[in-house]
Amino acid sequence: MPLHIKSGKPLRRKLFTTVIILLSSISPSLSQLHAAASVALAKEESGELDLSATKALFDTHSACFVDARSEYVYYKSHITGAISLSDSRFEEQFPDFRHNKAIETLIVVYCKEPSCGMARHVAKKLMKNGYRNVRVFSGGLIEWAHAGFPMEG
Amino acid sequence: MTKIGFPSALITALRLMLGVLFIMSGYEKLMDLKFFALIIAEYQILPTFLISAIALLFSLCELLCGTMLLIDLFSRFSSSVMLCMMVIFIAAMINNVMRGLDHDCGCFKFLSQWYGLKEEIGIVPVVRDILFFILLLPIASFGSNRVPWKKDQK
Repeated sequence: MPLHIKSGKPLRRKLFTTVIILLSSISPSLSQLHAAASVALAKEESGELDLSATKALFDTHSACFVDARSEYVYYKSHITGAISLSDSRFEEQFPDFRHNKAIETLIVVYCKEPSCGMARHVAKKLMKNGYRNVRVFSGGLIEWAHAGFPMEG
Repeated sequence: MTKIGFPSALITALRLMLGVLFIMSGYEKLMDLKFFALIIAEYQILPTFLISAIALLFSLCELLCGTMLLIDLFSRFSSSVMLCMMVIFIAAMINNVMRGLDHDCGCFKFLSQWYGLKEEIGIVPVVRDILFFILLLPIASFGSNRVPWKKDQK
């Protein structure tokens, strides 16, 4: 299932970012683009999703959304249909999650914002526990809310 | 031996102020008990099966003790109960700060909404709870243990 994300548009984006990086080494005026492109490339390689890719998965119901923030924050607001699997209480919540979600399920983990780090921790823990199709929505709930996408809580 | 007195007007003022504060805090927690229980869970101190019961117990204690302080019913007893709760809150927060955990303290949400006080665990809520502890001490030591509607009581 996650194959359709990796092919097509993202491949073109990868090519584009590579070209930008090469050009920026010649022209200093492109150094800002260089930095942004490097970040984008790093995100792609680490399996992180941007807002549009995440929304596409949300619309097609092809992924299980996991909220890595604390449960009390999740309780107040979260992406519609997301499940709470907090970084802080992962061990307590995981058995229930494991019982309900098959190992091959595509999982999108998010937290508050790109710098929060909890989503990456939870993604790593999920992969350690056998889940292979785990992606991180790095923009987090703030980017999702700013875009006016569905939320509940 | 001379007995050290404490101005009764001051005791009354403290009683009324803390009474209102604890009533509001307890009421707020009872209105969204699940949210309070989830915050208690975040402290990672209690076993999961106890969390809901403790959330209910703490909220009810705050509401009842606050009411008792406000109407001066067994003030000494109710302030002693609140002193014990303050010690528990302070110890739990210090424990979590030392473990490097970062979450809401579940103390007085309305204060943070009204005055922008910090609700996350840290030095500010600890100092605030120590202040409440100090303010409760005179009531627990010099307050009355009377029933307001019964006459001829000391």
